[in-house]
Amino acid sequence: MKGPPTTTGRLLAETARAHPARVAMRHKNHGLWQEISWAAYHEAVRCLGAALIDRGIQPGDRVAIIGDNSPEWVFIDMAVQSVGAVSVGIYATNAWEQVQYIVLHCGARLLFVENEEQLDKWLHFRDAAACLEGVVVWDTKGLRQFKDPMVSTLDEWRVAGRRCDKKAPDGFEQRLATGDPAEVAVLIYTSGTTGPPKGAMLTHTNVTWMAEAVARANPIYRDDAVLSFLPLCHIFERLFSVFIHIAHAYTVHFVEKADTVTDNMREVSPTIGYAVPRIWEKYYSAVKIRMADATWFKRTVFNVAIGVGASWATRRMALEPVPVWLRAGYLLAYGAVFRKLKERLGFERMRVAYSGAAPISGEVLHFFQSIGINLIEGYGQTEGTGVTTLSRSDRVKFGSVGKALEGTRLRIAADGEILVASPGVFKGYFDNPAATADALREGWLHTGDVGRLDEDGFLTITDRKKDIIITAGGKNITPQYIENKLKASIYINDAVVIGDRRKFLSALIAIDEDNVVKYAQDHKLQFATYRDLTVHEGVRDLISAEVAAVNTALARVEQIRKFRLIPKKLYEEDGEVTPTMKVKRKYIHQAFEDLIEEMYA
Amino acid sequence: MSALLEIRNVETYYDLIYALRGVSLTIETGRITTILGNNGAGKSTILKTVMGLIDDQPDKGEIHFAGQRIDGRDTEWIMRRGISFVPEGREVFEELSVRENLLLGAYTRRDRRAIQADMEWIFGLFPVLKERTHQWAGTLSGGEQQMLAIGRALMSRPKMLLLDEPSLGLSPLLVKEIFAIIETINAKGVTILLVEQNARMALSVAHEGLILENGRFVLQGSSATLQADKNVQEFYLGMHSEAAVKGYQRWKRKRAWR
Repeated sequence: MKGPPTTTGRLLAETARAHPARVAMRHKNHGLWQEISWAAYHEAVRCLGAALIDRGIQPGDRVAIIGDNSPEWVFIDMAVQSVGAVSVGIYATNAWEQVQYIVLHCGARLLFVENEEQLDKWLHFRDAAACLEGVVVWDTKGLRQFKDPMVSTLDEWRVAGRRCDKKAPDGFEQRLATGDPAEVAVLIYTSGTTGPPKGAMLTHTNVTWMAEAVARANPIYRDDAVLSFLPLCHIFERLFSVFIHIAHAYTVHFVEKADTVTDNMREVSPTIGYAVPRIWEKYYSAVKIRMADATWFKRTVFNVAIGVGASWATRRMALEPVPVWLRAGYLLAYGAVFRKLKERLGFERMRVAYSGAAPISGEVLHFFQSIGINLIEGYGQTEGTGVTTLSRSDRVKFGSVGKALEGTRLRIAADGEILVASPGVFKGYFDNPAATADALREGWLHTGDVGRLDEDGFLTITDRKKDIIITAGGKNITPQYIENKLKASIYINDAVVIGDRRKFLSALIAIDEDNVVKYAQDHKLQFATYRDLTVHEGVRDLISAEVAAVNTALARVEQIRKFRLIPKKLYEEDGEVTPTMKVKRKYIHQAFEDLIEEMYA
Repeated sequence: MSALLEIRNVETYYDLIYALRGVSLTIETGRITTILGNNGAGKSTILKTVMGLIDDQPDKGEIHFAGQRIDGRDTEWIMRRGISFVPEGREVFEELSVRENLLLGAYTRRDRRAIQADMEWIFGLFPVLKERTHQWAGTLSGGEQQMLAIGRALMSRPKMLLLDEPSLGLSPLLVKEIFAIIETINAKGVTILLVEQNARMALSVAHEGLILENGRFVLQGSSATLQADKNVQEFYLGMHSEAAVKGYQRWKRKRAWR
């Protein structure tokens, strides 16, 4: 840590004072990138903070925010934290019932909503939310004729805040100065693959410590550029768009919309990449598809290059020395193929890329390493402020999620569970002492994950403790390992392995639409819709072959004997995946129970 | 029943635009099938691909009509096999009379007497055309031109009629009339493929429908199934699944085809 523990608000103020004219954020407005300086960022936070104080927001009060990533989201977030209140992010994709749950559970006094769509969610439960004193909208499109005494606009707040700040300029400063680093800065509701969401309390110390610890593992520079597109209320995005950002003064770029990520990626060409495995898998299969469609010559050159790249990456990731001839071959392949490829994807400036929030398949990771994109995996959980272990960018060990961050202690319990102690370990779950006592025992965070540490301190994750399958034959199986092997197939998007207390293992598989469509087209399988594909015999045969290929690399008890294709796309809105695209196992088990029973009938 | 038109794995490029991205469709004799979709989804491209109106397309896939492969052939040859096309925006010959327009529709035929009989049948369907037999087509109203375009297409005695947005730019009353006539024509044994933006009308006459988005079908089913689908209701029939909480609503739910 650079100095004594501080608060996020003070950290932002210092950074803004040190680099007032540097660009803190860029966002797109009517198709053009607009810049926001650190001075402007801080000024916006200050105005909103003054307005919050004027409205009687006290340290410790909760304020909720719902909306897609934007500068406004971050301004509000930082203003709330600066005045000592607790900022609570809610997924923009949540249905109103879930929004209600979180608002009521945390007892939010104010709710900031992005637009009409989010405002309508509040209108669904306004009578039930007595804790709320006001709702503030920042994008008022379509709401001109809407009038409600509870609702105001962010612009009104800015004006009011500027007035308050002029009248009593010390109000904000005083709050900032008296902020206690040990107090809670944010509540992060875990997306919850099981049960209702729990609000993890992260303190100022937690997040400001993490901002430094991550940078010590892999350096971060002021000239760095990142692209913000994962949900801001998730710790992964919050770290890069807010906490690490205010400590290291680089530039955050906000995507226009969820479906412009690939375009914006090319425009920005970030120097640090971070995404959930699903996104990396998408890029991976896009490259594969494009190569399959290329001319014979291009394909051959690509395959040769990728062969060289793969052996180079394999050596590197086994932490073995790379012989000179291979290094030369790799440079050649890089110059001839990979550089162009990286440019196309918008990855040419990417110094390091992170995958996190869910396990990524080894094949995908290895592929990116082969083409010269330094994709590395981290491991962590919201309760540990997001990062527990991280690969160092120059030492990536295949199959491991890296080493503990500096200042983090790791222990493997007798039953294999990973235990963590660090300044990043959270304060507990908000208003949930039972869950807190379960997760935090004698200062150790019980992660619920099972793994092992090697002699060099590299951590390897086996699975979630509660996901481990015990077959009817009494064998312990880690489904994640098998699922990741299945997901490495470009034709398989998701897989859920089933077999707890069953005679054999089976799987529910969601196909990858783009690649399976392409396969169907190439092999003249006729279909009209996605559902048709999932019941097509040709597709079933294709997946069957993919499963068989995976099976050859598995022990007998781990082999998938039967599978069914999930007849629909999985959607967050349908409760099947989390906002970071993790499949909700329990839900899938329930929703497709008939398919499962069919396999065991 | 047998398949009259079969589109297999068709991919079509419009210059550099990848317009149809894997389309398969089977239409059985005697049915009315409708393809619904927004602007630019590729609806018209399907019809133009079938008719061989886009040079060197389809890029991939096959099209079979009445047991014969028709993709890659020229339009006139395809038409002679028994498919007629009513393009979007009618495109009647404005400086020819109604009668001349109809006769041009029979260009592929030599049986004069039967042509005359068919013309009478068409005048029976569209009495207003009979009144305007010698008038320039360009002087007809939009609705009358649409009738003429359909009449002209029928003059070749097609087995199948492809209609591209027949309701475009017509008054609600005329739209009803046109769709009633489409049903009449179908009752005479003409198989119909109808491309429409007016989903409500199209589903009311069609036996089955498909939803096309970004060059790919996302939903297929009987008209009743489609009419009952929540997404179709919201995005194509303009109904809201839930009443808007504040009486109106400008935003749209994210589309997700299940």
